[in-house]
Amino acid sequence: MRAVGSSIPRLDAWQKVTGEAPFPGDIYLPDMLHMKVLFAGRPHARIRHIDVSRAEQAPGVVAVLTARDVPVNEYGLILPDQPVLCGPGSAKEGADVVRFVGDQVALVIAESEAQAEAALALIDVDYEDLPVVASVEEALRPDAPRVHAHRESNLLHAYRIRRGDIERGFEAADVIVEATFRTGFQEHAYLQPEAGVSYVDEDGRIVVITAGQWVHEDRQQIAHALALPEDRIVVRYVGIGGAFGGREDMSVQIILALAAWRLHQRGIRRPVKIVWSREESIIGHHKRHAMVARARWGATRDGRVVAAQVDLVLDAGAYAYTSTKVLGNATLTCVGPYEIPNVWVDARAVYTNNIPGGAFRGFGAPQGHFVAENMMNRLAEALGMDPVELRERNILREGSILPTQAPVPPGCSMPEVLTRLAEEAGWRRDPEKGWQAPPPLPPGDPCQDPERPCTSLEATPGPRLRGRGLAIAYKNVGFSFGFVDECHATVELHGDAAIERVVVRHAGADVGQGAHTVMAQMAAEVLGVPLDKIELVVSDTAKTENSGSASASRMTFMAGNAIQRAAQEALRLWHEEERPAVGHFRYIPRPTTPYDPETGRSDPNITYGYVGQYVEVEVDPETGHVALTRVISVNDVGKAINPQLIEGQIEGAVSQAFGWAVTEDFRVVEGRPLTDRLSTYLIPTIWDSPLNIQSVILEIPDPQGPFGARGMAEMPFIPLAAAIVAAVRDAIGVWIDELPLTPERVWRALHRPAEREGGT
Amino acid sequence: MKPAPFKYLAPRSLDEALAHLAEHGYDAKPLAGGQSLVPAMNFRLAAPAVLVDLNRVKELFYIRSGDDGGLRIGAMTRQARLERDALIAERAPLIKETMPYVAHPQIRNRGTYGGSLAHADPAAELPAVTIALGGRLRVQSQRGERWVPAEEFFVGLFTTVLEPDELLVEIALPPLPPRTGWAFTEVSRRHGDFALVGAAAVVTLDEAGKCADVRLVYTGVGEGPVVAREAMALLRGEEPTEEAIREAAHKAAQVDVSPIGDIHASADFRRHLADVLGRRALTQAVARARGQAS
Ligand SMILES: Cc1cc2nc3c(=O)[nH]c(=O)nc-3n(C[C@H](O)[C@H](O)[C@H](O)COP(=O)(O)OP(=O)(O)OC[C@H]3O[C@@H](n4cnc5c(N)ncnc54)[C@H](O)[C@@H]3O)c2cc1C
Repeated sequence: MRAVGSSIPRLDAWQKVTGEAPFPGDIYLPDMLHMKVLFAGRPHARIRHIDVSRAEQAPGVVAVLTARDVPVNEYGLILPDQPVLCGPGSAKEGADVVRFVGDQVALVIAESEAQAEAALALIDVDYEDLPVVASVEEALRPDAPRVHAHRESNLLHAYRIRRGDIERGFEAADVIVEATFRTGFQEHAYLQPEAGVSYVDEDGRIVVITAGQWVHEDRQQIAHALALPEDRIVVRYVGIGGAFGGREDMSVQIILALAAWRLHQRGIRRPVKIVWSREESIIGHHKRHAMVARARWGATRDGRVVAAQVDLVLDAGAYAYTSTKVLGNATLTCVGPYEIPNVWVDARAVYTNNIPGGAFRGFGAPQGHFVAENMMNRLAEALGMDPVELRERNILREGSILPTQAPVPPGCSMPEVLTRLAEEAGWRRDPEKGWQAPPPLPPGDPCQDPERPCTSLEATPGPRLRGRGLAIAYKNVGFSFGFVDECHATVELHGDAAIERVVVRHAGADVGQGAHTVMAQMAAEVLGVPLDKIELVVSDTAKTENSGSASASRMTFMAGNAIQRAAQEALRLWHEEERPAVGHFRYIPRPTTPYDPETGRSDPNITYGYVGQYVEVEVDPETGHVALTRVISVNDVGKAINPQLIEGQIEGAVSQAFGWAVTEDFRVVEGRPLTDRLSTYLIPTIWDSPLNIQSVILEIPDPQGPFGARGMAEMPFIPLAAAIVAAVRDAIGVWIDELPLTPERVWRALHRPAEREGGT
Repeated sequence: MKPAPFKYLAPRSLDEALAHLAEHGYDAKPLAGGQSLVPAMNFRLAAPAVLVDLNRVKELFYIRSGDDGGLRIGAMTRQARLERDALIAERAPLIKETMPYVAHPQIRNRGTYGGSLAHADPAAELPAVTIALGGRLRVQSQRGERWVPAEEFFVGLFTTVLEPDELLVEIALPPLPPRTGWAFTEVSRRHGDFALVGAAAVVTLDEAGKCADVRLVYTGVGEGPVVAREAMALLRGEEPTEEAIREAAHKAAQVDVSPIGDIHASADFRRHLADVLGRRALTQAVARARGQAS
């Protein structure tokens, strides 16, 4: 059996199913102390004074740390605009202000978690509440209070694309469609809330064992805040219970290291552990950005999109996190995978006193495509043209020019994906009329399977309308806009006559997607050894070199390129009789360039993954309940290194996107989240997710990819929401511009169309 | 979070359980399936000093035939058993039909009939269904025993007529008269959650096809199960035509229910759902009463 292309069971499957796999919360070290965080719990306030004396005297309390104890009181992936601990006494300007409910104010370290928790209530914080900037609309008013007082305005960042002549484009258009879209915050809701352990080892290094997405970045952020050289810090990951982008930014990493180090300095050589509750996790880490976007697109009668204008604003919340990068993706993708001659995009990310917006599967592309694909479906309707046909006439293909005026990287398979999607969904291509949809769905009864428990839709034996819709998407693989991406791998071959043991060193995080299994498969393939000879040394800054993050659908692509060549090098040395034969490779993909500030000109991305989705829904027009009954997801993955893992990614992404589109409603009032637990924030369960998901895997090689593989994990999230909106329109005759499609929103849209209809 | 410290008692008989309750009064809480009580303790919304675990009190687990041809059900009967029991299916098909909407299978494996009634969540299905079926509840303490009609058992949000030393021990359901139909329907944001609104209907027709008796009971639109008296009065003695049902459901939504808004739905929308679901439940119940559907 070849290693690459086989659905080999995940290497960690047995351990995880039996509960043996250690997660950070499972680690108990001798003599360990416990830490709790005092969160601000208010969206905007200045801290005049903090008195920790009562807390310090409380039973079991070993130390209480505040802003004064942080050497360099700032961090942030793209901009160090966030204090590690908010409060007076540090050199960082503005660190005495809390800007969202999840800002961290003090740390209590005690003999037990209960004692630490009890002492939190004894910390006296004197707050002066400041006016709350609750929305992007408020934030952009000229007289708005500023979230960061030293900045000129609440605008964090803006991008624009100017291609062609937008006015001419609209003049040439026979139909013009307009709409304003709103998408909400989304919580990652990974299985495992943030947790970790830290201690100072015999060599005086601060060791942080936790779960994240990029060990080397965590190390760098910790080193910066502690004003220590990076080699004094070791970051190591054990089991990671899901990430989805939610672990890209710091949560417990810096405070754990800070606590261990300060204790050490006071002569207390004891490990410190922290485990966040679900509520702490939900307020303590960022969300998918909420978006507001106005769009106006025009097309000619023969189905050429000649103008696309979008004004898009993302709610960046209190701190920058990765907002500028997410904004960059939304800027590009809000005009879709099409070649449009006249494009005008204004995109802004804006500070508010909400929980920060940040990385989340799709990284701006879901919001961008929600605009683009809704506009395509509406244009198709306005033109009386089949939505597949309209797409095909405008689609990005090999050699096409992107809206940023660079050519799409070689290996563009968007047309193949669209064609396959249309065929799987029953479309036919008529030589004269082009793509033709199959006949409308017959009215159906979804409750055919007696084993399938009823959804509430099935509980209401009323009229049920069926509809179908589709959408397509593309998204970058790897880091973008001029950021230099790199990935190291080392492969050691041990043995004498034959290779007996292989050690693959790689820093990349397995966040639950199966990355480590795939790494082993790729190494085994190149070396021609069985999988069980491969030993992985992973996710430890002391033993591996930088691999970049498990994000941007890049891990298989980047790690594969590095491992493949490191393995080839090791083999070469092996044949030259070196023992052990050690091959190392640092993979640097082709360079990209940043947006030009005026025109958006750039070569933005290394390469792309392509996806198309078709959905069927059933809508109860009286109750507004939407059920997703069927999904076809066509994904070009270049090469399926492990097909079963890919199906897992597709099915997971569909469920997660269904949540974003229909069930998950993150509610915030004046900066205060109302849905900080999983009984109020409703992620779909297995009973709600569609059982009928057809995963279609295409393997059109990416010339840059290892074995032709391209990244794929984010892609099946991206088009689903727009496809569902189209299907709901097909079912009940109303376009809905706002997510999620809760029963009440659907009902209101149906019964008050005058308030809702945005188009012309 | 973890619960506050408490004392745990595990009586093996009803007498013993009642003695514990008599001794500890307001400090004690009976523990049935624990599916509502334990989360409340973990959130520190409840902090009983003493838990009296009923799970070893074998005499509270049963489903049997009543002398009147109805049913006698022990308070500790698991919800999963209600879902699968043949006698329930035969004599109280409304309960069988409703059970899949009560939480998730895992929760129904532990959760009990009595616990659901005693907990008195305004969104819970079993209180509404028990009222719709004309159930009577047997309540016992060391002081003695009393029977309470289900309709009078619920007095407000999470509140019943039970005194701290009393246990709900049995639910008695009368037999369904001939020409009786039933239905349950609800809308929830997500499968297994407490519904936004639910409606249970039981309709008995006379020989002329007019409504001899009508019961329409809602969940999620008041401080407890809401009996739609005005709507029921409209239909009683009348022929349940499509128009009459429509009017009755409308009346229920306008007059009988008093929903409030929360993060999952506004009061307006709940009122609208009461209208739609009331109509659907009555329509299906009438159809079944006429023998047009099973
Ligand atoms: C995730 C989740 C979803 C749920 N969804 C639903 C739903 O959709 N619909 C629904 O109806 N329920 C739902 N529930 C609640 C579930 O049905 C509970 O089982 C039920 O409400 C309580 O039953 P229990 O046996 O677990 O009672 P417990 O939790 O043990 O007790 C509940 C209360 O009743 C008291 N009590 C229990 N038995 C007696 C007795 N015999 N005499 C006097 N007092 C007693 C207890 O002291 C306590 O105050 C859900 C629960 C969860 C966790």
